[in-house]
Amino acid sequence: MPRSQFPGGRSPGAGLRRVSALASLSVGVVVWVALLGPVIALGAHLSYGATRASLAAPGALTPLVVSLESAAISLAVLVIGCSPLAYLLAHDRLPFARLWEAGMLVALMMPPLVIGLLLVFMVGPLTPIGRGLSDLHLDATNTLFALVIAQVYEAAPYYVLGAQSAFSTVDPRLEQQAGMLGDPPRRVLRRVTLPVAAPGLAMALAVGWARAIGAFGAVLIVAYHPQGLPLQIWTTLEERGLAAALPFALLLLLVALPLPLAAYAWSARARVRR
Amino acid sequence: MLAFDVEVRRRRFTVAVALEVADGERIALFGPSGSGKTTVLEAVAGLQPLDRGHVTLGGRLLSRSGAGRVMHVPLWERGIVLLRQDAALFPHLDVRANLTYAGGRDPARLAHLVDRLELAGLLDVHPGELSGGQAQRVALGRALLSHHGALLLDEPYTGLDGRLRDALGALVRSELAVRSVPGVLVAHELGEAQAFADRLGILDQGRLLQLAPPDEVVRHPSSRRVAELVGYLGFVRTGGRVAAVHPDRVRPGSWPDLGVVLTGRVAGLRPAGVGFRVTLDVDGSCVVYRVDEAPPPIGARTAVTALDPPRFASTDDATETVGADLASASLAPAVPRPVGRGHR
Repeated sequence: MPRSQFPGGRSPGAGLRRVSALASLSVGVVVWVALLGPVIALGAHLSYGATRASLAAPGALTPLVVSLESAAISLAVLVIGCSPLAYLLAHDRLPFARLWEAGMLVALMMPPLVIGLLLVFMVGPLTPIGRGLSDLHLDATNTLFALVIAQVYEAAPYYVLGAQSAFSTVDPRLEQQAGMLGDPPRRVLRRVTLPVAAPGLAMALAVGWARAIGAFGAVLIVAYHPQGLPLQIWTTLEERGLAAALPFALLLLLVALPLPLAAYAWSARARVRR
Repeated sequence: MLAFDVEVRRRRFTVAVALEVADGERIALFGPSGSGKTTVLEAVAGLQPLDRGHVTLGGRLLSRSGAGRVMHVPLWERGIVLLRQDAALFPHLDVRANLTYAGGRDPARLAHLVDRLELAGLLDVHPGELSGGQAQRVALGRALLSHHGALLLDEPYTGLDGRLRDALGALVRSELAVRSVPGVLVAHELGEAQAFADRLGILDQGRLLQLAPPDEVVRHPSSRRVAELVGYLGFVRTGGRVAAVHPDRVRPGSWPDLGVVLTGRVAGLRPAGVGFRVTLDVDGSCVVYRVDEAPPPIGARTAVTALDPPRFASTDDATETVGADLASASLAPAVPRPVGRGHR
């Protein structure tokens, strides 16, 4: 069969397809650069002196510790508390499954600031839950506990929907096959479901981490203290201006990004191998 | 022994099959697509709930449903492995880990199976890099290496070439014999089912029409429908009964002492393997047969003998008719001698 029916080996649509591909590529590059624009701007406006002065100030790195600590706890809460819900949603094991999903979407759509306001009504010291927490010597306002609650509320819907999607990629026939080969459900979960879903779960975890460590709106309302990095950036901006706040923005990026980037790299590698 | 009497309601019909498979015995279920073969295996394996019936393995009750009582031993405690058409390999594990997923860590046994399955050199490969046939062989190896009390095979050789089918068929048969476990295979290719089975069951519309040794089923189908399903392509009314004509059981020429002689006009001719496939129009009915050489030309009148054809009552119901309805057939004179060969 000849390579092309057209003289010169090109069909009339080839030129159009090439132009179209070039246009798509150009738009893609523009969007990519635009999305990374803020990071580029951050690099362009940072000065070594200001960075050193901001980060070397007494107590300047305490919010970093608070952020890492609270985000790590939040992540653990997400994994332990939300993964089962994601699994059940993915496997349609819940009655009125669509209702549960709609609930997650509502939580996802809520503006973080509104979440914070409503959390005051829900777990504030004067509410029944707040009084119950008080009996357990816990306070859901202006404590590390409150910070974790706010972070979890902001991150959980993203993690649940991501993990649900990851669990949905596991072919139920694989789990059935493992069962027929003698594995009880818990072992199937450990040997098949979790490893097969792992690349997607890693991405869900990365998104959850990024949302938790960067949580601001809800945190501003219920956990002004202890101060994490996002609030530190805000208060520094208010009190000392943009130049003083930028080093903390860089710091937040530096601590927030490695986990998602590592998760992405691992996930991409795992997908290629399969 | 694997014994089951399962009933599963489906949209168009109810699958209802009862069988007893002795230890080491091999039964093949053969039938057209959608006849309920896979449903039977899934019900026995525990993947399909029973609407009625029971499943026992080695005298142990695995499933029971009906009369208000439901009992179901979970998959992982049943000791039944079902190998399905899709290999369902674990994508995160390499071939070696897939093979040894449920046992088979004995290096000698693993090496033996790897050799028989022709998987040497693929042990460190992940399933995504395997062809369909290679994946199916890994799945078969994984099933054979597992500890099971019964092996169910749902068209396990799909995508494999003829040589490998034969080799793997022999492997499965020997494994079942050595381990003395019952085996049930479903197939929609008759040859595959025949090669596997001690007994062959013909399944249609969820019903088991006949269960007997393969040769008996093929040579003596119990009904016209079974005959149709096992490859009889012509049905000729003779002496108030209907004779079924199988393309492989037709001899050119008139041999009345060997069967029913049919005379008709050659309506079609096409190459088939090393020979030809001839379609004979016998008074408006189609009879198909094969010849190795010198086929009669189209339009010629010729006589053929259907060798010892199974006969059915003319009222024998067939849900599907292969070929045209037959009005009559030219019957040979009742002389026990060959009266000529070839075309006239």
